[in-house]
Amino acid sequence: MEEKLKMPVSQKLYGEFIYWITVVSAIICMVGPVIAMLSVENNVMNPHYFFAEIFAGKSAAEVWQTVGGGFPGGHFYLKHPFTGDGFTQFGLALGCLCAIPALIAAAIGYLRQKPKVYLYACLCIWVAFMVAVSAVGFVKSH
Amino acid sequence: MAQSVVDAPVKKRSKYLESPWPEALLMVAVLILCYIALAFISFGAETPPGGMSGGRIFMCLFGFFFLSFVIALVAVVAGIGGGVLFTPILLAFTSLDSLIVRATGLIVAMFSGLISTGPFMRGGLANLRICVFCAAAYGMGAFTGAQGAIYVAKYLGAIGEGIVRLALGGILIGLATFFIVGGKKIEWPEVKKIDGFTKKLKLGLPYYEPSLKKVMHYPLTRAWQTLCAIVGVGMLSGFFGLGAGWAIVPTQNLIMAVPLKVAAANSGVLLGMGDCVAVWPYLLMGAIIPLFAAPWLVGQVLGGLLGAQILIRIKAGFVRLILIGIMFFTSFGLVCKGLNLLGVIGPVPMTVNGAVFVGIMIIVVRGVIKQIKSGG
Repeated sequence: MEEKLKMPVSQKLYGEFIYWITVVSAIICMVGPVIAMLSVENNVMNPHYFFAEIFAGKSAAEVWQTVGGGFPGGHFYLKHPFTGDGFTQFGLALGCLCAIPALIAAAIGYLRQKPKVYLYACLCIWVAFMVAVSAVGFVKSH
Repeated sequence: MAQSVVDAPVKKRSKYLESPWPEALLMVAVLILCYIALAFISFGAETPPGGMSGGRIFMCLFGFFFLSFVIALVAVVAGIGGGVLFTPILLAFTSLDSLIVRATGLIVAMFSGLISTGPFMRGGLANLRICVFCAAAYGMGAFTGAQGAIYVAKYLGAIGEGIVRLALGGILIGLATFFIVGGKKIEWPEVKKIDGFTKKLKLGLPYYEPSLKKVMHYPLTRAWQTLCAIVGVGMLSGFFGLGAGWAIVPTQNLIMAVPLKVAAANSGVLLGMGDCVAVWPYLLMGAIIPLFAAPWLVGQVLGGLLGAQILIRIKAGFVRLILIGIMFFTSFGLVCKGLNLLGVIGPVPMTVNGAVFVGIMIIVVRGVIKQIKSGG
């Protein structure tokens, strides 16, 4: 028997969202390569060719160009959800976006708390907004 | 604090029914099934003309997973993130494109942070207020760093690759030295004066300290200065694709006066949160190749979960010594490769690499023996 602190709901929500989305993302990334090898033609990049290109020290743009005929964009899983690499990219993207729902949930938690914590609710939304802007690709330096 | 009330005592269930065991076992089961299926499919696949055989592809995918798992295990037990080992090792000892390595390194660092977020948040050791406050600055720094990395790769070519390796080699030497000297980290920093800005932020959140069996409250200070330092740390992490826990912990501990344990927990949460911003420039320009990055990600998640369980049960002082040895050897590799790419020296012969490795390992083994004898 031990005494435990009751955690603020926003903190719990953030932790649970991140944790479970990460687990799902990892499972998708385990299954993705199996789908890719099951039907090698059903990929944006044929696995029989791109590993050799990567090991040869080619740049990402060259690898995509040589094997896949050009990079189809970071969100190519939306157009090719059932290809091996499209499904794996979906898993990666899911993990890379997991902060958005977690931060929104945490912001709601802060707003439902008594007294309401507006500052941290706003900061959560701001960080979620930064992830979203980054994911959409609005801001580029190159 | 208004939000911290003490719960009624809770009856304990079997630990295998509680997180992280059910999901960890599920992931291990899926992983085993996937690799068995992958082995059958890959070894039975026909090799197209000029392509890599299915067997070699399987070995690559499994090898990446296994390496990532070991890196995560060693890193977590030694108290750092996986990204600190992944990026330098791959840049020093492989001919892979540095942008692909750094982008994948950021995935490695981010997922090792993400998987530790749940337990740290549930346990109350991490402080979401500090993490969100710092992430607002870290995210901007890391995003700028990532954009800078893409810019350097695009316009500086081989010179840029050489400079990146040299700089990373320098950082790693500094970091390994910092690990030896121990830094000036303080378990319970003393706060003499709380500034008005930090006071208004109400960043503090008490946590239960099992070693003292009591709830600990901690005052914080210098929030502005921490914010400025975190921007720089974020830039470093985004540019080099390196987990930055080694910089976040002392920044929070020494500037903001966050207790060491809380700062360590916060660093994992902050990496996971902030690198979600930094990783997208790499993803959107194709530097993260899904089938290459996936096994590294899975290795980090499983290694991170298992490493955290091992960490609870063992004394891991000697792992830290091994890690320091690996860091020095990797820095040697990075500096040599950087100088080679800049045309200053030729390729370093294997015998020289081997001699340096053996020399470093002799020192490490002596250190480990000394530590075991002294009961560390």
